[in-house]
Amino acid sequence: MQWLDTAPEGARLPVTTPLEEVEAAARDAGVLVLEFDAFRDGRGFSLAAVLRERGYRGRLIAEGRLIPDQARHLRRSGFDGVVLGPGADIEAWRRMDAAFSATYQPVEEDAAPIWRRRTLARATPEAVVKRLNRETRGGNAEDILCAALDPSLGLRPAILSSFGAEAGVLLSLAARVDPSIPVIFLDTGMHFLQTLAYRKALSERLGLTDVRLVTPDPSERADLDPDEDLWRADPDACCDLRKVRPLERALAGIDAVITGRKRHQTLDRHDLRPFELFQGRIRVNPLHDWSEEQVEAWFDAEDLPRHPLIDQGYRSIGCWPCTTVVKAGEDGRLGRWSGAAKTECGIHLGRRTMSVG
Amino acid sequence: MYRYDEFDTAVVRERIEEFRDQVSRRVSGGLTEDEFKPLRLMNGVYLQLHAYMLRVAVPYGTMNSGQMRRLARIARVYDKGYGHFTTRTNIQYNWPALSDVPAILSELAEVEMHAIQTSGNCIRNVTTDVFAGCADDEIEDPRPWCEILRQWSTIHPEFSFLPRKFKIAVIAAPKDRAAMRTHDVGLQLIRGEDGETAFRVFVGGGQGRIPHIAQEIAPAVPGRDLLAYLTAILRAWNLLGRRDNIHKARIKILVASLGIDAFREEVERHFATLRREDLRVPDEEVARIRAYFAPPPFADLPRTSGAFDRASLADPDFARFARNNVRRHRQPGYATLIISLKPQGGVPGDITADQMDLVADLAERFSFDEVRAAYEQNLVLPHVRLDDTPEIWRRLAEAGLATPNADLVTDIIACPGLDYCSLANARSIPVAQALSEQLADLDYQERLGPIRVNMSGCINACGHHHVGHIGVLGVDRKGEEYYQITVGGSADEQAALGEIVGRSLAADEVAPAVGRALDRYLEVRREGETFLQTVRRLGADPFRDAIYGAFNAVA
Repeated sequence: MQWLDTAPEGARLPVTTPLEEVEAAARDAGVLVLEFDAFRDGRGFSLAAVLRERGYRGRLIAEGRLIPDQARHLRRSGFDGVVLGPGADIEAWRRMDAAFSATYQPVEEDAAPIWRRRTLARATPEAVVKRLNRETRGGNAEDILCAALDPSLGLRPAILSSFGAEAGVLLSLAARVDPSIPVIFLDTGMHFLQTLAYRKALSERLGLTDVRLVTPDPSERADLDPDEDLWRADPDACCDLRKVRPLERALAGIDAVITGRKRHQTLDRHDLRPFELFQGRIRVNPLHDWSEEQVEAWFDAEDLPRHPLIDQGYRSIGCWPCTTVVKAGEDGRLGRWSGAAKTECGIHLGRRTMSVG
Repeated sequence: MYRYDEFDTAVVRERIEEFRDQVSRRVSGGLTEDEFKPLRLMNGVYLQLHAYMLRVAVPYGTMNSGQMRRLARIARVYDKGYGHFTTRTNIQYNWPALSDVPAILSELAEVEMHAIQTSGNCIRNVTTDVFAGCADDEIEDPRPWCEILRQWSTIHPEFSFLPRKFKIAVIAAPKDRAAMRTHDVGLQLIRGEDGETAFRVFVGGGQGRIPHIAQEIAPAVPGRDLLAYLTAILRAWNLLGRRDNIHKARIKILVASLGIDAFREEVERHFATLRREDLRVPDEEVARIRAYFAPPPFADLPRTSGAFDRASLADPDFARFARNNVRRHRQPGYATLIISLKPQGGVPGDITADQMDLVADLAERFSFDEVRAAYEQNLVLPHVRLDDTPEIWRRLAEAGLATPNADLVTDIIACPGLDYCSLANARSIPVAQALSEQLADLDYQERLGPIRVNMSGCINACGHHHVGHIGVLGVDRKGEEYYQITVGGSADEQAALGEIVGRSLAADEVAPAVGRALDRYLEVRREGETFLQTVRRLGADPFRDAIYGAFNAVA
């Protein structure tokens, strides 16, 4: 929920407007501001819920005579933000927004309602993984993705993406199913500038609305890598600082992580299944059995923008210090930590215990 | 009965913390009284004539002995030693200090109770058939569905600031024992064509200033679509209902002004675009909730009871109690027992803390730890052995709880009226008491048979006067309390609104006037005909004549 000082530019309508007119105004609006002239007038909540259910994906902002106690009603009905008048008690808004840890209603929001959580609580994650692997046998990537996003499972999923060479496949698939799905990008501070530009371009092209940039903890970084050269001495420690730890923090509240990993990429990934359990969380790998040719064909068919470094011979793209060009015909992953025995950064292996002097 | 799990517990606890936060912002000036009022109402706190009133929810009227004892403790510690059961099967405390309310709510939470949404413009406590799980005409126990509705409607993000209050009743038998069609939405559980649970849905009922009987909007909504269909109804009303006039804001006005067919189209438009899958309660969850309402471990008993028969023969007082307050149970050898909260000259629905404790003891010992609140403002022990009824009766009688008048003319439904309520125009309690005294002769009451007298102290109709076989409505006539009489109302499966018989009467004229109407009924009825059947056959005229004849003769 965004607490705004002023309403963004966009269409504005009072909540007394008939639904049909609100829908018409929302049709080509990127931003819609609904004005409440009395906090007791709850029409705005239904307008928001209807707009969201009928596919409005733009920003929805509430403004007017509202009280902090309505924060979660607004958020859960589908509003992205509320304009707080001068002198508003923003702490009260925050507190009331977070007053409840559980809710009974399945509405526009990421948390599953209580009865889904009950069903989930009774089924162990192992059982869920087993069942999903069984149910998606023979299914394609989209089937696997849809199974993971099935609301009856009550999972709170997120996509983990490097916005690297092949990332476009998983992201475009996800955008088809639900463009509001959280996408976690580990912004290590060591990415190629081209990767950052590509992240922006691809997100916009696909209409992804919740790309989360996850950065290392500044004090940890100052402690462990004051000169930003840890990658030279101990690449594992660098990955741990910049990827593993930040990801752990970013996954609080997420119980299913969707990745673009494929069997052909490394030896470790040879027996990758669509669903697996990793450190208590479900990992979903919709592209587990995709070949490089399939990836290529997908980019062509979907006419997706390519990562700018591909033209320069890069095939698997991570942080600049640890990524190199590979020769034509070579395995793409060879370009990662080239010359070292390391093949994984650790986010798919688990944290090792660190001792950095 | 249902037990909370960690999620239910968390919601109730967090609701108390939320309310504490709201109270402290009210005290510090962060919330104006106008902003605070709907928030406190949604937590059951009213400001009445003399004090605050706290209304505690008894979801679909079902309680265990621990809960009943806690209600007694609250009456004793925080109030004046009594409570008042309402027609929404809730209990009201009339004298709590506002500063005690958070403590009371915490005490309630300890026994899995709360006061959430017992007032305010939101979805209120769901009511049902008080004989659920006992009646032999029941298709299935409606209470698992009531619990699903309770959970779904609790702190609903979209439906907490509705045009006005919204009440739902669920029945599961052809016979309506929950006044279902006087509700904003009435649900009748039926067996669908596929053999699964479905609901016949009625909409737009309500009492108040402009009463309406609910009309059928859907003949059979599958159970799995129930929440989606209700969402569509509430959404249509939330968007189109009037907000300019409090008396025209209920859904009944919208349904009446659009017409049921146009309203149905509106609902179906919303239903079509709802994400129904999201609102479908998983089968496992329905099964989980149903398991809580499984029949108790009944013993295999003979159909008749020697102890019951001997006591009936030996003691005419027990025999009378058994005739009127002991009802048939579908399990052989068991009965359902009504504890009338309508003693002669008493306040309808009131019960003392000591009486609550006794009822809790009896429920624990004789009724599988279960007691119900009925919308008629009585209590019910749902599953007692016929063998045990003489002893239960003796113990009730010692506590003044054995009034043998269930469904008889002195089993009066009445709101608290001007003695407590800030909305009332007139007192209800003294008029009900006078009527109860005048008609005290139990032989006479039994001769009259089942007659429901309902009394409201104002047009808001909390005492259900529109659907009383005889209704009494308090009105203000130039600062004087006057009472309007209706006859022929009914809250059952043939629900009907009563007809006003004539000009209103002064307080002391009401009981004698009702007495004359009853005498007229005894004169004109056919063999085996109830009061209501007689009114339906003859219309209101004979009763009008009886009520006003005396005045006309004098004039």
